[in-house]
Amino acid sequence: MSRKIEKAVNEFNQQMKPVSLWADAWKRLRRNKMALISLWVVGFYALVAVTAPLFSFLDYRTQVIEHANLPPSLRPAGELVIEKLEARHALIKERVDEGMDSLKPEMERIEADIQKAKDELDTNPVNKKVYIFGTDSLGRDMLSKTIYGARISMMVGLVGTLTAVFVGILIGAISGYIGGWLDNLLMRFVDIMYGLPYMLIVIILMAMFRKEGQSSIVILFVGIALVSWLTIARVVRGQIISLKNSEFVEAARSMGASTGRIIFRHLLPNTIGVIIVFTSLSLPSFIMNESFLSFLGIGVSAPLSSWGSLVSEGANTMELYPWQLLAPAIEMTVFLFFMNFLGDGLRDALDPQSKNRT
Amino acid sequence: MSDRNMLLDVRGLKMHFPIRTGLFSRARNFIYAVDGVDFQVRKGETLGLVGESGCGKSTAARAIAQLYKPTAGEVYLNGMDLTKAGKQELLAARKNMQMVFQDPYASLNPRMTAGDIIAEPIRIFKKNGLLVASKEEITDRVEQLMEKVGLSRFFRNRYPHEFSGGQRQRIGIARALALNPELILCDEPVSALDVSIQSQILNLFKDLQDEFGLTYLFIAHDLSVIKYISTRVAVMYLGLIVEVADAGDLYKKPLHPYTEALLSAAPIPDPKIEAVRHRIILTGDVPSPDKQRPGCNFYDRCPKRMDVCKKVRPKLKEADSGHQVSCFLYHKPE
Amino acid sequence: MSDEVILQVKDLKTYFTVDEGVVKAVDGVSFDLHRGETLGIVGESGSGKSVTNLSVINLIPMPPGKIAGGQVLFHGKNVLAMSSNEIREIRGNKISMIFQDPMTSLNPFLRISTQMVETIQLHQKIDKKAAKAKAIEMLKLAGIPAPEKRIDQYPHQFSGGMRQRVMIAMGLSCNPEILIADEPTSALDVTIQAQILELMQELTRKLGTAVILITHSLGVVAGMCDTICVMYAGRIVERGRTEEIFESPRHPYTQGLIRSVPRLDQETKERLYSIPGQPPNVIDLPDCCPFYPRCEKVMDICRGKYPSVASFENNQSASCWLYAKEAQNV
Repeated sequence: MSRKIEKAVNEFNQQMKPVSLWADAWKRLRRNKMALISLWVVGFYALVAVTAPLFSFLDYRTQVIEHANLPPSLRPAGELVIEKLEARHALIKERVDEGMDSLKPEMERIEADIQKAKDELDTNPVNKKVYIFGTDSLGRDMLSKTIYGARISMMVGLVGTLTAVFVGILIGAISGYIGGWLDNLLMRFVDIMYGLPYMLIVIILMAMFRKEGQSSIVILFVGIALVSWLTIARVVRGQIISLKNSEFVEAARSMGASTGRIIFRHLLPNTIGVIIVFTSLSLPSFIMNESFLSFLGIGVSAPLSSWGSLVSEGANTMELYPWQLLAPAIEMTVFLFFMNFLGDGLRDALDPQSKNRT
Repeated sequence: MSDRNMLLDVRGLKMHFPIRTGLFSRARNFIYAVDGVDFQVRKGETLGLVGESGCGKSTAARAIAQLYKPTAGEVYLNGMDLTKAGKQELLAARKNMQMVFQDPYASLNPRMTAGDIIAEPIRIFKKNGLLVASKEEITDRVEQLMEKVGLSRFFRNRYPHEFSGGQRQRIGIARALALNPELILCDEPVSALDVSIQSQILNLFKDLQDEFGLTYLFIAHDLSVIKYISTRVAVMYLGLIVEVADAGDLYKKPLHPYTEALLSAAPIPDPKIEAVRHRIILTGDVPSPDKQRPGCNFYDRCPKRMDVCKKVRPKLKEADSGHQVSCFLYHKPE
Repeated sequence: MSDEVILQVKDLKTYFTVDEGVVKAVDGVSFDLHRGETLGIVGESGSGKSVTNLSVINLIPMPPGKIAGGQVLFHGKNVLAMSSNEIREIRGNKISMIFQDPMTSLNPFLRISTQMVETIQLHQKIDKKAAKAKAIEMLKLAGIPAPEKRIDQYPHQFSGGMRQRVMIAMGLSCNPEILIADEPTSALDVTIQAQILELMQELTRKLGTAVILITHSLGVVAGMCDTICVMYAGRIVERGRTEEIFESPRHPYTQGLIRSVPRLDQETKERLYSIPGQPPNVIDLPDCCPFYPRCEKVMDICRGKYPSVASFENNQSASCWLYAKEAQNV
C-alpha cells in the first residue's frame, strides 16, 4: 500500500504548506539583516579555518630571516626588503655625511646587502612571496599565523563550549527534573563554584599540569570547561523546571513514560532553542578567556599560536611594527563582534515571544 | 451493582498538598484539594464530575491516574488497588486507564509530530515488554486512529502548531485510544474549544463510546455539557462530593443547596426563559481549600444553612433511589 | 433603550500584516448603538469581535495593525479621525472598556486607589480627596464589602470575581455613555459569573449606560442583551433583536450555533447538532461567503461572492445568499 503524502488543501482549496518549527525560525533569522551578515562572516571564518591545511602557501612555520618585520603589502617581498635596506642606508649615509665616520663600515655592509638583494631579486623564489599581513620578527607570514591562530582559538572555543554545554545540560536537566534535595545539593555546588575566582583556578591548573614542549591545549580545555558549564546548567535547569509541569509532560507521565524518556524526549527537545542561543553566545566568551590566558603566557605555547598569543607577541613590537598587533587583534575582534550578533539573531529567531513577532 | 461491572472504585481519596515554608522546615499548612471522596464508575457509563475552580475535580482525576500519590484512600481499577501497585503492575494497569487533557495547546509536545504523539503510548509499552508491534503495525494503528477521530492520515507528519484547537484535541483523543483502554479520564476536554467545535468533540466522545464500549470519567465546569454527556453526575465543592445522581434526576430535582445555586446560575441560551428566571445568587467568593472546616464546607454561602451545619460535617448518604446527597436537610446528623 | 443613536460604526475595516500575509481581522463591520442599549457581539475565536472593540476606541497597535477603512461616529464625530488629545478625552470618560482577565488589566504594582483616582482625576476637575471618595462610592455600588479599607489594597489581594467588580467600578466611575465589556465573565466561575452579570445589568440600567458586550456564550447574550450581532470571519453575518434571533435565526451559521449548544432545560438524549469543519484562518480569504465550506445550504453563488445584506422586519438582517433577491433569480 503506497503511503503518498498528498498535497494538503484547506476547505477553500488553498494549499497549506507544512511548516516545521525550524523552517519558521530560519525564516525569521533571514529577515534579520544583521544576523544574516553575521552568518556569512562567521561561516567564512569557519570555512577558511577548516580548509587552511589544504592551501600549502599558508605556511606559518617557515622563517625567512631576511624577511623579518616586513609591513603588509601587495608587492613581492624582495622589493620590500630592498626598500627597507635602502631606507636604512639613506639614514646612515646622512649621518656619515655629517661626520660620523664610525658608521662607515655599517654603511658599506648595507650597500653590499642591497646589492645582494638586488641580485637575488629574481633568482631566489622566496623573494616573490607576498605578505598581505606583513611578517613577524622571525620572518613568518602574518596571514598564515593569524589563520592558524584562528584555527586554534575557534577550536578551543567550540570544543570548550560543547563540553560545557554537555556537562551543563546533564546536570541542569537532572537537577531541574528531579528537584528536591538533589537539586538543592547541585545548585549549592554551582553557587560555590561561581564564587571561586575561576581565573585563578585555571592559572593554577595550567601551572601545575603544563609540561614543557607538550601541547597544553587539553589542559586549557579542561581548565576553562570546568567552570563554564555553570551558567548553562542554571539556564537549562530553569527551562526544565518551567516545562516539567506542562500538560504534555503530565500526559507523558500518565502514559507511564520513564524519567529518562521524559527528560530526553520531551523536556530537552523543547529546551534546544535556549541551548543553541546560549552556545552561540558562550563561544565568544570562551575564545576571549583563552585569549586572555594566552596573552598572559599560560595558554597555548609555540609553535602553536592562538589569537591571544599573537596579540601578546604583537603587543611587544606595536610601536615599530604595528601590523603584528593589529592583524590578529582586528581579525579576532571582527569574529567576536559578528558571533555575538549571530547569537542575538538566533535568540530572536528561536524565541517565539521575541519582539519581532506580531 | 455487581463487582464485575464496576470498573473504577474510589474510596476515601484524599489529596493534601503541603505548603512548605523555608528550606528545611516541616510543612505547617496544607491545601486540602481532595478531602475524602468516594464514588464508583460502572463499565460503559459516563460519570460526570462537575464543580467550580478549586473544588478539586482535576486534582481528583490526577490522583486517580496516580500522577500524584494520594495522601490517603484507595483506587481500584478492575479490582486492583493502584495506590499500592508496584511499578510494573501500575504500568500494565495504565493500558486500561488513559487521560485526555484540557488545553489542546499545552497537552501536545510541540516538537513531536502528530504521528509520534499518538504512537507514544504504544512505544512506551513496547519498550517495557508489555506488547509486541512492528514499525509497520504501529504506523497502521496510528493512521487508523487518526481516521477514527476525524483527522486525515496524511497529516501524520505535521506538528501540533499546524493544527487548529479542535484538531489538536482530536490528536489527544487518538493518543488516549492508542492502547485500547477501558477507562478514559477526561479533564475538561472541551472547555478550551470554540462553541461550534465543542459539539463536534462531544459527539466524537459519544461515538467512540458506542463503538468501543468506553467508560468515561468526564470533568467539566459547564453544567449543560455535563448533562449532555453523562449518565450519572457527581457535584464537587471544596474537595468533597456533595451530591451524586443520575443525570436526568440531578437536573430535574437537585437536592443540595449548592447544586441548586449552580443550576440557577448557569445561563440558558433562550431569552424568554432568561427573562423570567429566578436566580439564586450566592454571596461571597468561592473559598480556597486551605483549611479544614469542622462543619459543612458550604456553610458560609449556603442560603439554607442551619446551626448544626457549622459544627458537624455531613456525610454522603442516599436520599432517593440512586440519588445521594451530603446535607443535613435530608439526613439527621449522627 | 431610547431611539437616539449615540454610536455608529460604518464599514469598519482593520487589517494586520503578519509574515504569512494580511489578516483581515475586521472586514466591513457596521452597526448602530442606541442610548441605554445593551448590544451583544457573539462570535468564536477568529471572528474579529475583540478587534472590533479595540478599533472602536482606536486602540489597535499600529504596526502590525491598521484601520484600513470605515468610520466610527460617536455623536456624529469620527473617532478614528480624532487627534490623540481628543480621543483621550473620550476614552475612560465617555467610552469605557473592561477586559476579560482583570489580573492583566489592573496594574499589579499599584494600589486600587491609585489606579481609580488616576482615572477619575484625568477626566473630572476634582481634587484627590474628592476623587477617592467617588472611587469608594463606586466600589460600594459594585458590591465590594468594606470599600474604604479595600481600596488601599493591591490587585492580588482580591479574588477573580472581586477584581472584576473593581474593573466594573473603574469603568463606570466617570459615568460613561458607553461601556465596552470584552468577555468580562469568561474567566470566572459560574456562580461568580451570575453575580457579575447581575451587577452589570443593575448598574447600567441605573446609570443609563449603553453596553457593548462581547462574548462567545449564547446563554450570557440571551440573558443580558437587547440586540445581537453575530460575527464570523471578520464580518457581521446576522443582526437583530435578541428574541427574534433566537426565535427565528436566519443565517445558517446562527442557526447551527444555536442548535449546537447543549442546553440545561432540554431532555435530550439525541445527538447534539454540530456544524462541520472549523472556523477559517482569515489570511488571504478568497472572495466568497467565508461560511460556505461548513454550510448545509450552500449554493454555487456562495463560493464566488460575499453575500449582500438582506433585511427582515423588526430591524433584523442577515448576510446570506438564501435571502438576497439576486440569488433567487439564479
